[in-house]
Amino acid sequence: MSLFLHYLSLPYLLEGIELTLQVTALGLLGGLILGLVLAWMQLSRFWLLAAFARGYTVIFRGTPLILQMVFAYDALPHIGIKLPAVLAAGLALACNEAPFIAEMLRSGVLGVDRGQVSAGQALGMTPAVLMRRVIAPQAIRTMIPAFGNESVSALKNSSLASVIAVQELTLRSTQLASSTFDFFSIFFASGLLYLLLTGAVAAVQLALEWLLDLDRTSRDRRLADLLPWRRVDLLTKLELAEKAAPTVAVDAAVQPEIPVPPSKMLTALDRARRAATIARNNVAVEVRDLCKNYGTQTVLRGLDLTVRVGEVVALLGPSGSGKSTFLRCINHLEDWDSGIVRVGGRRLGFHDDGKRLSPRDIANERASVGVGMVFQQFNLFSHLTAKENVAGPFRWVHGMTRVDADRRAHELLDRVGLSHRAHALPRHLSGGQQQRVAIARALAPNPSVLLLDEPTSALDPELVNEVLEVIRRLAIDDGLTMIISTHQIRFADEVADRVAFLSDGAILEEGPAHDVLTNPRHPLTARFLSVMQADKALEAVR
Amino acid sequence: MRKWLFKKARQASLPWRKAALGVIIAAAFLLPAGAQAAPAGCAALQAKYPAWKGKTLVNAINPHTPGYEAIDPKDPSKYVGFDIDLGEQIGECLGFTLTYKAVTFAALLTTLSSGQADIVISDIYATKERAKAADFITYSKVFDGVLVAKDNPKKITGINTSMCGAAAAENTGFVEVPLVQDLMPKCKAEGKPEPTLQLYDNNANCIQAILAGRADTYVNDVNTVDQAVKANPDKLEKAIAVTIPYSVGIAVPKDKPEFRAAVLAALIEIQKAGIHMDLLKKWELDVNNFKEPDILTAD
Repeated sequence: MSLFLHYLSLPYLLEGIELTLQVTALGLLGGLILGLVLAWMQLSRFWLLAAFARGYTVIFRGTPLILQMVFAYDALPHIGIKLPAVLAAGLALACNEAPFIAEMLRSGVLGVDRGQVSAGQALGMTPAVLMRRVIAPQAIRTMIPAFGNESVSALKNSSLASVIAVQELTLRSTQLASSTFDFFSIFFASGLLYLLLTGAVAAVQLALEWLLDLDRTSRDRRLADLLPWRRVDLLTKLELAEKAAPTVAVDAAVQPEIPVPPSKMLTALDRARRAATIARNNVAVEVRDLCKNYGTQTVLRGLDLTVRVGEVVALLGPSGSGKSTFLRCINHLEDWDSGIVRVGGRRLGFHDDGKRLSPRDIANERASVGVGMVFQQFNLFSHLTAKENVAGPFRWVHGMTRVDADRRAHELLDRVGLSHRAHALPRHLSGGQQQRVAIARALAPNPSVLLLDEPTSALDPELVNEVLEVIRRLAIDDGLTMIISTHQIRFADEVADRVAFLSDGAILEEGPAHDVLTNPRHPLTARFLSVMQADKALEAVR
Repeated sequence: MRKWLFKKARQASLPWRKAALGVIIAAAFLLPAGAQAAPAGCAALQAKYPAWKGKTLVNAINPHTPGYEAIDPKDPSKYVGFDIDLGEQIGECLGFTLTYKAVTFAALLTTLSSGQADIVISDIYATKERAKAADFITYSKVFDGVLVAKDNPKKITGINTSMCGAAAAENTGFVEVPLVQDLMPKCKAEGKPEPTLQLYDNNANCIQAILAGRADTYVNDVNTVDQAVKANPDKLEKAIAVTIPYSVGIAVPKDKPEFRAAVLAALIEIQKAGIHMDLLKKWELDVNNFKEPDILTAD
């Protein structure tokens, strides 16, 4: 025991820790830089970069670190690169860590909800802004535990530097054991020193997780809440529990819901007057002969559609008829095979000579043309509060100051009846509330056209109306140009000027909303409408 | 009991070069008895081979062999032993100082040929095979000891058929490895089970293998075996000493014949002055180890 304590405090071993940490730090920092480059290459649009990165990963992940250490130390000098031992060990460790870190980064990035990426693109974010503001903040949170693991493993792996004469903790321990024969006292001491180091890494990891916990605000949670007995406390003390987890149910009771007015069926005269006004307006969206295939499957076969300023067009049709793909082509979230899409007279995503723009230029063009999009799954940025979801794009895409962006965000949230929930995270909002925030976000840059992709399909029936009412106001009160894909026949009748019925990637029938819905000419339209209405009847009976 | 370990301390490990310099200077003043004055012929050698005068060279060692090279338990920042003293004497004679690089035994010659070290003085046996990687200046005869558990339960009497069926611990890269391997067909011919080999990367691990009951024997330099028995007198014993047809050598790069000549000349001076013999006595090594130097190269 006394020998153990003697070795535990022996300066010779403690000084070895310094070198252990140096090698580990070089390995982790170098690995992080190399890993970032590798991950970027693997996610790149250019296959050659991706292939190179893949090859590197296969080699450096597939060979033992001990060989890489010996290579960096003994082979590199033969080509004129004679690194000091610590640097050679750091280099080998960095090269070895890089593929593992790259895979962590890649899975972190790919793990971020694709819908949020689409939403960011639709808001006109360039790939760089999207990465920095949407993907990275979420990916980093999910990657912290993996980074903790990797740091601990790098720290332990640094002991392999002992084979290339780096006087780190392990090499010092073995040398000491050889000259004193106190084998076990020395290795227990050295093991405990390693435990202290890896314990410190674990502590840093937990601290980071706590710092980046989105649910943590100064009044909601304290570090102590993580302690097990504290959690039991939360269950028994109602006051604390309420603070820790504000529930949606409690909130719904106090929030001023948007009153749902009685049906606003327009009279035939109103409709005719509105149609005449719209007919005189400019073309907002023009689609000519749009065709698109996914592999061998044809999704869109020669779609034509013209939407004028102030017009509301409802796209109806069974699931898989191509409604979503069609909407996503309009703001160029999807590529297509042939045909032309013009928004406000501009071919979004192409140079004047028909050449395709880079993703970054497409983003800038989306921002300047102004095509807002609302998604079926809301696609709110889940790491940002309701207010930041709206205000963020103002700052990052449109260069607005924080004060102005916040003011505009409050106005918009007020407009959808959610100013009291401005500081809530999306996951603390009901589906209907989330979709209203998403609408506010889409409206933020004053888009010339708003695309709504089945905005109520993911909502519980009792939440549908609050969203429809918001959209209704946009159509009737604000005169916004909208293309809505929906299954809500009654809503389409009330809000849309025209409906287009899609089936199997083509428009089978289109015309004034009320006419088509009450008197469909195409048998498929008739069948679809009767099925939808039968469903409604069934729901009413239930 | 372990006075041989801390009789003299002089040099520091690589990261502590500055401290090492201080120690060397201090040692030069404080321990004149330990650091014998350079023989008279050395001045002429320094004039003849001026290229290394005032230089600091790197000596790659496998510091797991107390008596030859190991860290000083009293001050682990220093290496001590016969080889260390001999290297310093050669350095003093030719006018260079040494720093140390601790590597595994198997990496000694790789470290030299990659240029990460300038010289290897680490109780390494000079063989024709190894001479493909480095030139050797031999300086010591080899006597091996057979280390076994107390009372030699397997009745091992050397590297012979008494080892059939036994487990032998050896260091990776040691010359004893092929000798044990050569026993395998002989054991088979006698209808006995073959010996098994366990390869480790330092003496301490080989000795631990016997203490833990994993290995039955460890054949290595007799002095190393004696030290192990001294440290664990109730658990280990030396079965027998055997002669091995090799010499211990100083390894130098193959592409530096002038350096090889300088080291050889310095070693001759040191032996002539009686310093070599004094060092053997100082480290309590068998004076029969003494050998006049020769050059061993691959061709």
